[in-house]
Amino acid sequence: MIETKEVIIEKTNTWEEGKAKNITFIVTEDCQLQCKYCYLVGKNNLHKMDFETARKSIDYLLQDCNYFSETSVILDFIGGEPFIEIDLIDKICDYFKIRAYETDHPSFNSYRFSFSTNGLLYNDPKVQKFIAKNAAHLSIQITIDGTKEKHNLQRVYPGGKGSYDQVVKNVPLWISQFPNASTKVTIAREDLPFVKDSVIHLWNLGIKEVNINVVFEDVWEPGDDALFEEQLVLLADEIIENKYYENFTCSFFSTQIGLPYKENMNWCGAGKMLAIDHEGNFFPCNRFVNYSLQNREQLLIGDNQKGINQNRLRPFLTLDMFTQSSPECVSCEVATGCAWCQGANYDYADSSTIFQRATYLCLMHKARVRANNYFWNKLEKKLQKTLRTLP
Amino acid sequence: MVLKYLLVLLSDSSASFCYYPSQKAEIPKGIAVANSHKKDNAFHISDEKPTEIYYNEKQHLISLDHLKKTVVFALKNNLKVNFLYPHFLLDEAYTKVIEEVEHIKIIPFDAKIFNEDAILIIDSKDFPTTLDLENYTHQNFILKLQKKDLKKLDTMILALLAKSARINLVLMDVENYEEKEYAIYEKQLEKITRNLIQYQNQNAIPELNFLTDRIDLNQMNNCQAGIQHLTIAPNGKMYLCPAFYYENPSEDLGEIKNEIFIKNSRLLELNYAPICRICDAYQCKRCVYLNKKLTLEINTPSSQQCITSHIERDASRRILEKLQKMHPDFNPQITIPQLNYRDPFEIVKGNPQKIATLNHP
Repeated sequence: MIETKEVIIEKTNTWEEGKAKNITFIVTEDCQLQCKYCYLVGKNNLHKMDFETARKSIDYLLQDCNYFSETSVILDFIGGEPFIEIDLIDKICDYFKIRAYETDHPSFNSYRFSFSTNGLLYNDPKVQKFIAKNAAHLSIQITIDGTKEKHNLQRVYPGGKGSYDQVVKNVPLWISQFPNASTKVTIAREDLPFVKDSVIHLWNLGIKEVNINVVFEDVWEPGDDALFEEQLVLLADEIIENKYYENFTCSFFSTQIGLPYKENMNWCGAGKMLAIDHEGNFFPCNRFVNYSLQNREQLLIGDNQKGINQNRLRPFLTLDMFTQSSPECVSCEVATGCAWCQGANYDYADSSTIFQRATYLCLMHKARVRANNYFWNKLEKKLQKTLRTLP
Repeated sequence: MVLKYLLVLLSDSSASFCYYPSQKAEIPKGIAVANSHKKDNAFHISDEKPTEIYYNEKQHLISLDHLKKTVVFALKNNLKVNFLYPHFLLDEAYTKVIEEVEHIKIIPFDAKIFNEDAILIIDSKDFPTTLDLENYTHQNFILKLQKKDLKKLDTMILALLAKSARINLVLMDVENYEEKEYAIYEKQLEKITRNLIQYQNQNAIPELNFLTDRIDLNQMNNCQAGIQHLTIAPNGKMYLCPAFYYENPSEDLGEIKNEIFIKNSRLLELNYAPICRICDAYQCKRCVYLNKKLTLEINTPSSQQCITSHIERDASRRILEKLQKMHPDFNPQITIPQLNYRDPFEIVKGNPQKIATLNHP
């Protein structure tokens, strides 16, 4: 029997996962970049939150104990690019801390400020000052997409110039401040040949956890699945040969995917979380805001004046896998891990509903499942150890 | 879809018979409103004949051509038709077409058009006097109860009891119901229940959708718009129900045709309604219009719909218990358990039904 270290290949849990209320402040709909795959189709430099809107929203949420009954909270700041509005964010965070203390809210001292950023302003003195001030309560994820070639295919400035060099120079500082930080990679059609090299590259940069998914929009064409599968198999070989599994994770490979459904749970947390736009409108998540939607009108669930519209929340809180899925999806033998985005489902549905699951990712999921099986079978053989429970 | 009948809006100003608001339409000059109370089995044409016939499509009446097509479609597909009448009389050409098919007339009470087989719509804001009701004995009524009249429900029902074969209650403005209204409704149903039990000693109780339907049901008996019936609007197009036409006429289901396609029609079915499929308030209308209006989803009821239906269910439970106590052989196959919730959303939220218990039809 080969002596092995514990295989560290699964994604780590996020802070207070499933227990904390996630509240997203869309502080701006502007960004320095125009990433080609970005789901934010309506980015603009007009819609910026002001402090008064944020203040009213916090005041409302801290007093609505029925809606906000969780004892922990994650205040998520997104854009566009959130760090463009670092002064506002700093003010919002201070206000939250003061009001949570003054109102004796259970989430005081059990909060996180969370950021997904393009990383361009990471070394900005104001951002660094904010990080130093809130270090114990921060999660920051810089999006870097992999190799320079892959990153610059998608993550470009308005003129078309790639942003890799400006982002990668901030990675060492980021890793030094958040050694367990993860990045989120998105794969578009054009990027498929670079999947394997990109994941390895990110690990070599010191980013131990790579969360990665293909774009949720309806962009995939015949043959993409084969290319995707080929890349994942190459990645699997590389991980096993070089024992990357001992220290790094990539969310493409998991012991939990490719199995029949046992649970009837929804995949997505829309509705359990809350997104707030620049006007103080409340949404089930930012994918239901106008700037994210191509085909449908935005879907509000309240605002900071009238509060949460409980009736509009009911579909989100009772939405299950069965009700939104086709019979083929429900009985699929490799169903688990087949992801969906509720906002994209809503945007692409035949009628105005969140109860119709988009299925255009089916072939990509099945390709991933085959590569995932390849990976685990090969790893189990190498380690002489059963790592999965198969049906 | 197992279509059983069609609803036909004869005019844009046809009286509303359900949750959607009544349409305000001016009756054009020269159109007489019938005012006879004469009892007559035939659909009564007023003694005061209209001086002018009102069938101009521009004035929002369904065209004769569309009406004929609808009737032919119904005849070819074994469908019955419910015709929703406006406040004014129709041209003889219209009545002739209507009489060709098996149908029910749904008529506003204040149009004062007497027909024993018709369903008469009463709006609580214009509740008829004793004199107005004197000639009725076994009529089907729809009582549209305005929120401001909620406290008068028991007296209205009492006034209608001896006149009715069936009363369908529609709680208007139900979307604005809160705890205060729920408490009043509960109280009102208690009062009506007491009256009913007394009344039952000497008379047959008429059917009351909100109180007696549930004591005869062992499965859902809902509106079924889009499954059992579709609506033909005055523009000749099909809709899920009249409310969808009035809400947004451009969201039609197309012309009258054999192949009817409703996008995501499975969401109209009970199995695809996570809250309703575990519920046993079988008498609930499960109004897809209210669902869409309040929750934005046709398969998801509002809290108001669930709570008022459970208040009714609980009142039905008490009636059933009393009746079964008085008459041990009364509906022995039906039981209505006492519940510790009044909104099944509380049970379903975050706790989806197990896959094994669900089947795609």
